[in-house]
Amino acid sequence: MKRRAAVLITLSLVAFYTVPAGAYLKLGTKVGARTVTLAWTQLPIRYFITDRGTTGVTSTQLQQTVQSAFSTWQAVSTAQISSQFVGLTLTGPSSGDGVTVIGFQNRPDLERTLGATSFMVDSTTGAIVEADIFFNTAFPWSVSAQGDTGLFDLQSIALHEIGHLFGLAHSAMGETELRAGGRRVIAAEAVMFPIAFSAGTILGRTLKADDIAGIGDIYSNSTYSRNTGSISGKVTKSGQGVLGAHVIAFDVRTQKLVGGFSLSDDGSFVIAGLEPGPHILRVEPLDDGDIESFFDATLNIDVNFRAQFYDKIVVVPKGGGTSGVELKVVAK
Amino acid sequence: MIRPTITTRAARLLGTFCIVAGAAAVPRPAAAQVYIGRDIPHRGNIEISGGAVWLGGYDLGSAAAEETRNTGTGTGPFVLFDTSSKTDPSVGLQGRLGVYATKSVSVEGGVLVAWPSVSTRLTGDAESASDLTATETLTRVIVDGSVLFHFTGASFGGGRGVPFILGGAGYLRDAHEKNEVIETGHEFHIGGGLHYWFGQGKHRFGIRADGGISWRQGGADSAETTRTVPMAAGSIAYLF
Repeated sequence: MKRRAAVLITLSLVAFYTVPAGAYLKLGTKVGARTVTLAWTQLPIRYFITDRGTTGVTSTQLQQTVQSAFSTWQAVSTAQISSQFVGLTLTGPSSGDGVTVIGFQNRPDLERTLGATSFMVDSTTGAIVEADIFFNTAFPWSVSAQGDTGLFDLQSIALHEIGHLFGLAHSAMGETELRAGGRRVIAAEAVMFPIAFSAGTILGRTLKADDIAGIGDIYSNSTYSRNTGSISGKVTKSGQGVLGAHVIAFDVRTQKLVGGFSLSDDGSFVIAGLEPGPHILRVEPLDDGDIESFFDATLNIDVNFRAQFYDKIVVVPKGGGTSGVELKVVAK
Repeated sequence: MIRPTITTRAARLLGTFCIVAGAAAVPRPAAAQVYIGRDIPHRGNIEISGGAVWLGGYDLGSAAAEETRNTGTGTGPFVLFDTSSKTDPSVGLQGRLGVYATKSVSVEGGVLVAWPSVSTRLTGDAESASDLTATETLTRVIVDGSVLFHFTGASFGGGRGVPFILGGAGYLRDAHEKNEVIETGHEFHIGGGLHYWFGQGKHRFGIRADGGISWRQGGADSAETTRTVPMAAGSIAYLF
């Protein structure tokens, strides 16, 4: 088996490739001429925890926190995923040994990285063989139920990283502002938003509609196929497709927000995992994070257009899709 | 005015009426007798009507697209944009089939089809997207049943005009555009109106106007709230 390892070193990770025609930004890899979604084909995911704690967090607390984060993802009713804690290990989280390890690691060189996920992928199938997660001990951590002022909530960050471990890339469902030292999150409606909430808060412990749609899209079960639907179409500007536009579907009834991207040169997008019923569509440029947090740097992502709404209410059928939507944007 | 010829069946009806009237011991004005005879719709008569209907619009409420706000960046959820939805007034077609159980009481079933527009006003975008109204058109079908009480004593125009009141319930079915999504609900209604018959023969045409209020739940409106919808209709009727 030909294997390829890749270490991803942003807050969480940069996708190898974004998968076209996906409902959500998912991790992908090239298999021949095709781009396939990264996913685990062997479940449960068996993982070890590094038997090493950090200030304020023991390895046992780390293990319990990680297990809790796995359980949160596994509770999604539209996805079929499972995991199994195998045991503590003295090995640190490092790629290439064929074993999935989650643990603390001191990486003061990564001064803006709370944690990261790396993969070993079977490049003939796209199947994930191994994934490792490290939490950077250069930052202060907390496992307190209520959170601790000035400390980052380990469960929130573990939930985000485990989302990557399952194959999810970043969501753009959030707003940021530029400040000295980088971007700060004003608000987010997805655990998979690339920038974490401030230290001291536990707001990131709860999966949002966007996360749930994403995990269901990769590991769909019969509930997902039967009970959710999709919206597909194109984002165009002056008749040309727009690549990398962020399209948001808002369910007026449930007030849930689910996003997707136009992932091809013709501006095609698909947002799947939506609850049936009427939705409002809104498109915006990818301007609340570094482009590289979402897409390969070589892609020509268009951010020169204004945010705008679609003038039709789009009704999502149960177990089906509504297609043919065209979002025409104009340059700023 | 009493018509000179009375059929055997009409005579039976007359007798029945007299017994009831006598039992009630209510003196009745002579004018009321114009409806006592073969020309008044009576038990067994069937009425078919069809025409246009107007349905009032109603508010579907407001909702905000919110994101979870980070600590230290303000209070309350971050509002990405606001929405306010309503169903606009609409016109449609209605058909009814009724049977008279007595001269005063009839039951009927009907089908109504209308095409209301649902609109959602989008405002207050956090990134200055222009305000806009997004719309869609529903195909609304209501299948209902009603009981009508005809005020034969309050007729006018030589017995041709007969006011009535009605009440009933119905099944509501909303199909969104392209009929890809169907949502159902129910409704209850009350109302009143007027028949005006042309002629007094066994078979006759007439017109019917009625209005009322429908209280409905479900359909394209998923809220638990009961919506109050005014209705008005005008129909051509045929009695036989």
